[in-house]
This record gives sequence, structure tokens and C-alpha cells, in this order.
Amino acid sequence: MAELEYGGEKIIGPGRADDDVLRLEHISKRFGATQALRDVNVHLRKGEVLALLGDNGAGKSTLIKILSGFHKPDGGTMWLKGGAYTPKNVDDARRQGIDTVFQDLALVDELSVFHNLFLHRERLYSPLPFLNNRVMRREARKRLDEIGINIPSLDVPVARLSGGQRQAIAVARAIASESEIILLDEPLAAMGAKEGAMILDLIARLKAETSISMILILHNYAHVFASCDRVSLIQNGVVSFDRPTAETSPDELNEIVVEEYRRARAAAQGQLTS
Amino acid sequence: MESSTSPPASTGPSTPTTGPASRRSRAGAGLSPLKRFLTLREGSIVVVTIITFVYFAATTPHFLTGANFKTLLPYFAPFAIIAAGQVFVMTLGEIDLSIGAMYLWTPFLFWKLVTSAHFPLVLAVIVSLIVAALLGAVSGYLIAYIGIPSFVTTLGMLFVLDGVTLIVSHSEQVTTPGTSVTHVGTFASILGGGTYSELIWAIGIVIVLQALLSSTRWGLYTVAVGSNKIGSAEAGIHTKLVIVRNFMLCATTAGFVGLLEAIRTSTASPDPSGSNTVLLQAIAAVIIGGTLMTGGAGTVVGALIGALFLGILNDGLVIKGVNANYEDLYLGLAILIAMLVNIYIARVRKGAGRG
Ligand SMILES: Nc1ncnc2c1ncn2[C@@H]1O[C@H](COP(=O)(O)OP(=O)(O)OP(=O)(O)O)[C@@H](O)[C@H]1O
Ligand SMILES: [Mg+2]
Repeated sequence: MAELEYGGEKIIGPGRADDDVLRLEHISKRFGATQALRDVNVHLRKGEVLALLGDNGAGKSTLIKILSGFHKPDGGTMWLKGGAYTPKNVDDARRQGIDTVFQDLALVDELSVFHNLFLHRERLYSPLPFLNNRVMRREARKRLDEIGINIPSLDVPVARLSGGQRQAIAVARAIASESEIILLDEPLAAMGAKEGAMILDLIARLKAETSISMILILHNYAHVFASCDRVSLIQNGVVSFDRPTAETSPDELNEIVVEEYRRARAAAQGQLTS
Repeated sequence: MESSTSPPASTGPSTPTTGPASRRSRAGAGLSPLKRFLTLREGSIVVVTIITFVYFAATTPHFLTGANFKTLLPYFAPFAIIAAGQVFVMTLGEIDLSIGAMYLWTPFLFWKLVTSAHFPLVLAVIVSLIVAALLGAVSGYLIAYIGIPSFVTTLGMLFVLDGVTLIVSHSEQVTTPGTSVTHVGTFASILGGGTYSELIWAIGIVIVLQALLSSTRWGLYTVAVGSNKIGSAEAGIHTKLVIVRNFMLCATTAGFVGLLEAIRTSTASPDPSGSNTVLLQAIAAVIIGGTLMTGGAGTVVGALIGALFLGILNDGLVIKGVNANYEDLYLGLAILIAMLVNIYIARVRKGAGRG
């Protein structure tokens, strides 16, 4: 993996492995005046769990949304299993095997648990256009039992559920789609220790029992080192650090982040004094 | 899902309603039947309507007569249909202010198509409804794709259609094609002219649209977009399309009611103030019926009952011989009281653990 230096800034160049399922090179994305991503290079190997770290506003969610087909990148190239990957929308990405748990979960508060689990994947009484609630309710129960999530009633609107239960439903929805790649944007946010452990167990099980590849956005280093094979750090819209978890340590990651704070503080003070 | 908690009868025999009835009884387990009923989104307006009905029946001798029932119909059936369309827009958290103008304009389009372009009657009806749907699509497009608030977009559409109506009609009343004052033919009797024609249309349309709202993807996505637009898009729902098609549906029901009323009365009058009353009454019916103005929950059956409530109130006040000057005052107070009762019962509902 090439580490390039641009004006004192470290940027991880395009990397690759023979068993890559996904590869992103030179991805950039701007929202109005905000350059969210400048030159992002990421690759993901089959069955690998990649942790994506970065400060608030670093561009992690933006990257996930580009991968999930929600945003289009301004520049750069993406490959999925060797072929060019240009998802037209979220559905298209899902069809190609990439499913996402968004940071905001994409749940509809007013709808029931099972309608949320099947949102935009509804079962119908084909050929009639009517929703087959019975089948959806039954399958929802089965799925939630399988992954060990306890939700007393599938009929209550999800607005009634705890943060952890909501998170679990969003995760259950993504992993049910038989995708080969699952993107999870802060899947442990809003979770208590017990619920968080349940999701981490689930990720470990998926990793052990399937060949699903995952990108996880996490904040807690303990989680990163417990669950992930590799870690990439996004700073200022670029990936500035990329290493297998076996070859780095929480201390090293901390060091990098502290350094980032130091530079940000210096820059802020420079602005104040000038 | 709130919008699916409509009485099973409303979703019709063709709808697989494994859900609502059984689900509700489970969710409402432990509640008395009365409380369980009140926890329905439509429950409160049903109670208010029954009270109003009993009041007029007990205090007004002519209220409970067949003749009065026929008088009541036009006070209520057209609003039920027009409100049913508006439910789909308001469940999105949007509003369509152009329904009155659509109601006003469509009969004049129909009249032009028959008298100037020599369209056969039925074809003219179909083309008129297609034009209404397309105008709804224009509003929907401006709202969903360009991002103009629906309040502004449809206000503009309101004035445009009012204006076009005045221009086309030269501000003069016209006789509705296919009708005559002395004789009601088949065409007219089916499309509004028959005594029960509007009632039958209203019931049929309400059944179909309630099924659409609570038992199909269309309805599910309407609730989803009204509740969480970004989340719906992230789930893959084509939110802009959902918005456009609901505005098309709403415009079509409004245009259709315009035609029914023009055929029932044999005339079409270019009277924008009358059509504004139609707009306001329809919106009142929707809100009184239990649809949230903020979006995310709606009920077509509730809107029907809301329209019935307003109809009973209008008709009852007339029969009671209330001084015409007081009618609007009483109507306004009754609407406020109905809403207060609604909100109170919604609190009971929340207390009972149901949203
Ligand atoms: N739709 C948008 N419109 C405008 N700006 C946006 C949009 N989405 C993201 N941004 C901006 O892009 C930058 C990166 O945002 P992003 O959500 O990707 O960060 P993040 O790394 O996920 O942060 P967090 O840890 O807080 O979730 C931020 O400055 C944000 O304000
Ligand atoms: Mg984020």
C-alpha cells in the first residue's frame, strides 16, 4: 500500500488485494462549499471486516452513502468484484449485493416493526397488489429470533422502541437481504452495553459463518480491535491511515487522533491571532 | 401502523384483511371495548358524529325523514370523495389548496370539450379527468422535484385554474352537457344526476382508496414519506414519485367531484368563492377525520365520517331554522369542539399505549 505525501499530508494511495470484492479509487464528493471527500482510496477483501474511523464530519457517512448508491461521487472510480460499479440508486446497489444500515437508520416511526423490516421489500399477495402482512409478520419474527433480538410486539410502531431495538431492526433488515457486502454506519450508536454486545456477536457470527464482507463505522477502539480485520482512518476527506488491526494498537490510533486535534487547535489559534 | 387501523368493513371484501382486526385486538388487549374503539384513529369523530346526529334527531322533527336524508346527501357525498383524495396529500405532510379550483374548472373543460371540440360525453369525461391528473402531476413535480412548498405551489394552481375558468366561461354560467333540467338520462343518472349516484360513488371511492392507503405499497410509502422522507429514500423508496402520484390522485378526485356536481345540478357556475368553500370544507373533513396535518398518518374512512359530520351539521342547522347569519358561527364552533374532542381522545389513546 502506497503512502503518499502531499504537502506534509499523508494520503493512502489506491491499494489492492487479489481477493478484493470492492475497490474505490480517488473518490471525491462536494456539498456546496463543503468538500466532504477529496481523494479517498479504499478496498475491501472477501469476508473482511473493515473498520472506518474518523472525526465527526470527516466524511465517513458520505463515503458509505456513495457506496450504497444514495449519493453519486463527483469523481473517482469504483469496482465491485472486478467490474465497474456505478449504482444508479439504493435499489440498484442492493441488487448488486450491497446493503446498508444508515446512520439515521432509515426507519419510519409511524410504521410497525414488521413493516419497517420489510420496507421497500414488501411481500404481496401476488398477483394482487395487497400487502401480505401475515407472511411479513411471520418472517419478521423468525429473523429477529434468529439473530436473538427480543422485541415483544411486531405490531407496535417503531417510535415506541428503544434506541437499541431500533438499531437492531435496521441491522436485521440489512443482513436479511443476502447481500455480499454490508455497510454499517455506527451500528453501536444509541446502544447499551448488552445490546451493543449482541450486535457485535451478530457481526462475529456473520463473519464466521458466511463470506459476507463488511465496512463498519465505529468510534470505540475496543470494538474495532475486537471485531475488525483492518482499520482505515479518514481525516479531512482522505484516508490517512490503513493497517490490519493485528499490526496496530489502540495507542497508535490514539496518537494519530491526538495529533489531528493538536493541528486543528493550532490552526484555530492561528486564525484567532492573525 | 396507524393508517391500517380502519374498520375492517372499509377495506372491502376483496382486501385481505388478516391484519387490522386481529392485530388491533391483540394490541388493544386488556382495554374495554369502548376504549379500544376510541383508540382507533377514526373513533373520536364517529362518536362526535353520532352525538350530533342524535341531537338533531331528538330536537328537530323533520331531521329523521327520508326526504331529509336525500337533502343531506349533496351536503356530504361530494366532500367525502374530495377529502379522500386530500388524505393522500396530507398524509405526506403536504397540502393541496387547488382542489376547489380543480373542482370548479373541470366541468368547464368538460363543457368545452363537448360543445367546441364535439367529443362524445364519456370520452369528454375521461379526457377531463386525465387533464386533472396531469395538472396534479404539474403541482407534484414542482413540489417534489423543484422543491417549491406545496402550500405555495397549489395556491398558484388555485388562482391559475380560477382564472382560466373565468376566461373560458366569460364569467357566465353554462348548462352541463349531457343533462337537462326536465329529464335525467343514463349518462347523467350514473354520473351524479341519480339520487344516490354521488353516495354510491363516495362509498365506492372511499373503499378503494382506504384499501389503497392501508393495504398496498402505495399507501405504505405514502405513510413512510410523510413520516420520514430521507429515511424512506435511504430505504430505496422513490419518494418524489410517491409525492407526484398522490397529487395526481388528489387532483383527479377533485375534478371528478366537480363533474358529478355539475351534472347533478345541470349547471356549472364560474364562482371561485363557492369553490373555496369546497376546499375548506374538504380540508376540515380530512383533519376532523383524524389525518395528521404533519403527515405520517391518515385515514380515508375518517375523512368520510368527517364529511358526514359536516353534512349533518350543515343540514341540521338549516332544518332547525337557525338564522342564516348564525350558520357559519355555529359551524366554526362545532369544528373547534370536534377537534378538541379529537385531541382529548388522542390523549386517551396515547395513555392506553397506542400512538
Ligand atoms: N447532504 C449534505 N449536504 C450538505 N453537506 C453535507 C451533506 N452530507 C454531509 N455533508 C457535509 O459533509 C461533511 C462530511 O459529513 P459526513 O456525514 O460524511 O461525516 P461523518 O464522518 O459521517 O461524521 P459523523 O461522525 O458526525 O457522522 C460534513 O461537513 C457535513 O456537514
Ligand atoms: Mg456519519
